[in-house]
Amino acid sequence: MTVWPEERAQTIDSFNTVDMTINVGPQHPATHGVFRMVLTVDGEVVVDCEPYIGYLHRGLEKLTENHDYRQSMGWWDRTDYLAGMCCEGAYCMAVEKLAGLEVPERAEYIRVMMMELSRINSHFMFLGAFGADVGSFGTSFVYAWRERERIYDFFEEVSGDRMFPTYFRPGGLQADLPENYESRVRWLLGSIRQGIEDLDGLLTGNEIFVERCRGLAPMTTERAINLGITGPILRATGLPWDLRKAQPYSVYDRMKFEIPVGEQGDIFDRYFVRLSEMYQSTKIIEQCLDQMPKGLVLNPDLPKTLRIDNAECYIRTEGTKGEYGVYAMARGGVKPYRMKLRSPSFCNLSALREMVVGSYVADAIIILGSLDIVLGEVDK
Amino acid sequence: MTQPAAAPQYPGISALIHKHLSNVPFTATTTGTDADIHVAAEHLLALVEGMNQKPELAFDMLANVTGIDMGEDTLAVKYNLYSFTHNHRVQVTVTVAWADRVIPSLTGIYRAADWHEREAAEMVGVVFAGHPNPKNLLLDEDLRIHPLLKSHPLQTVEILQGIEEGVPGFKF
Repeated sequence: MTVWPEERAQTIDSFNTVDMTINVGPQHPATHGVFRMVLTVDGEVVVDCEPYIGYLHRGLEKLTENHDYRQSMGWWDRTDYLAGMCCEGAYCMAVEKLAGLEVPERAEYIRVMMMELSRINSHFMFLGAFGADVGSFGTSFVYAWRERERIYDFFEEVSGDRMFPTYFRPGGLQADLPENYESRVRWLLGSIRQGIEDLDGLLTGNEIFVERCRGLAPMTTERAINLGITGPILRATGLPWDLRKAQPYSVYDRMKFEIPVGEQGDIFDRYFVRLSEMYQSTKIIEQCLDQMPKGLVLNPDLPKTLRIDNAECYIRTEGTKGEYGVYAMARGGVKPYRMKLRSPSFCNLSALREMVVGSYVADAIIILGSLDIVLGEVDK
Repeated sequence: MTQPAAAPQYPGISALIHKHLSNVPFTATTTGTDADIHVAAEHLLALVEGMNQKPELAFDMLANVTGIDMGEDTLAVKYNLYSFTHNHRVQVTVTVAWADRVIPSLTGIYRAADWHEREAAEMVGVVFAGHPNPKNLLLDEDLRIHPLLKSHPLQTVEILQGIEEGVPGFKF
């Protein structure tokens, strides 16, 4: 059945179409940093996608090998720069494991509190940026930034820096909390909950947003595991797996919280898992404040210079984007012999081609946004 | 790493792996967090395939691949594997001499291995046989240096650029 005359339809059938190559990035706001992908498109459908990374490669591992254990702290903040405290936590845990250092209990609670605040902060960034990817332009950004700046003020107060606090130390923390900090964190939690509600209303309550995301790029659990995907994207496929519960570290085994899961691993589920996780994080922070003991925050037996003999470990933590692992090896001396970062964004991004091929070009941007990558962590 | 004489021959999870895969020769030690299985490069595929397929082991996730320059012209590659079904984890170590640095690629078993192996290949120079796309990942495409080798000095990457193998680049 055709609406055109016979001869016109024949001309259209005999059109020779050629695949076109489109370069996206590396400097484009939709790529969330300096990420580049080369899309091969047939009309509007993506038939191939080749990701290129490394534009932000700073040689993190080489630098860590060439400096002593405490000097390297600052670089590990700059891997997942949206959640600096989570990276510091993993790095310090690796060094403590190698050296066999104890961390005072109060420091563990403060660490968990800070890591959860970082998680909330990172997820706010996701909500803001993802809203903008889908088309809410600046509104979601503004709502997210209101809360993010408040959290950053709290980070600045304990450490002097907003995004790269360098607050943790192998063996504890740099300093104790300032006066009245705990009571003000409780106030902050109320503000955060209000912020989550606002964004929930703005995005989940928006039919256009929901219809745009639902059913897009679904993913099964088996496929996600084989591709090395972890974190909220894996949980969106329906697997309630979170390292904070599966293999608890620090004092997470004393916290009561739930693991939000999705159903079919589509974009909407990924978004909603992250949104629900933020509520759970506020619960964990509340429990930290309730249970936090008084006492020291830095191991008093810490030597002036850390020297570690033959030792090896692989530390896994639940970063904001998935499994943030640190492989560490020491062979004597004041410097680590090898430190390798297993970054969740790196592994999640390696599955991009699988998700993008077969979708529309406009959807490819949303799929990339739903991975919530941080290029500092991908490129090291 | 030296072990005390009383340590078992197959510590932790490696005893279970030895029980189900007794045809693959390996030795085992422990690290600070995991059992560490040392296997020769030619047995790696058989071992990992068995660990992935056997329902009692079911290592379904490749979490991490690390390439290390161990000094004295030896390279080591460490694989960190995890099982979602049984919630257990293990580390597999393959050590090769620099002159013979070919290790079979695991991309046929875990698709997650793709980028991990590309990174290890460019950083320390391991060759992963059978990798579908063995290009540089983090480094520039025409760069033929391995920055994480201990012989590679810090801060002189730009001087080395383009000198090796006659690839076009800067001339000093």
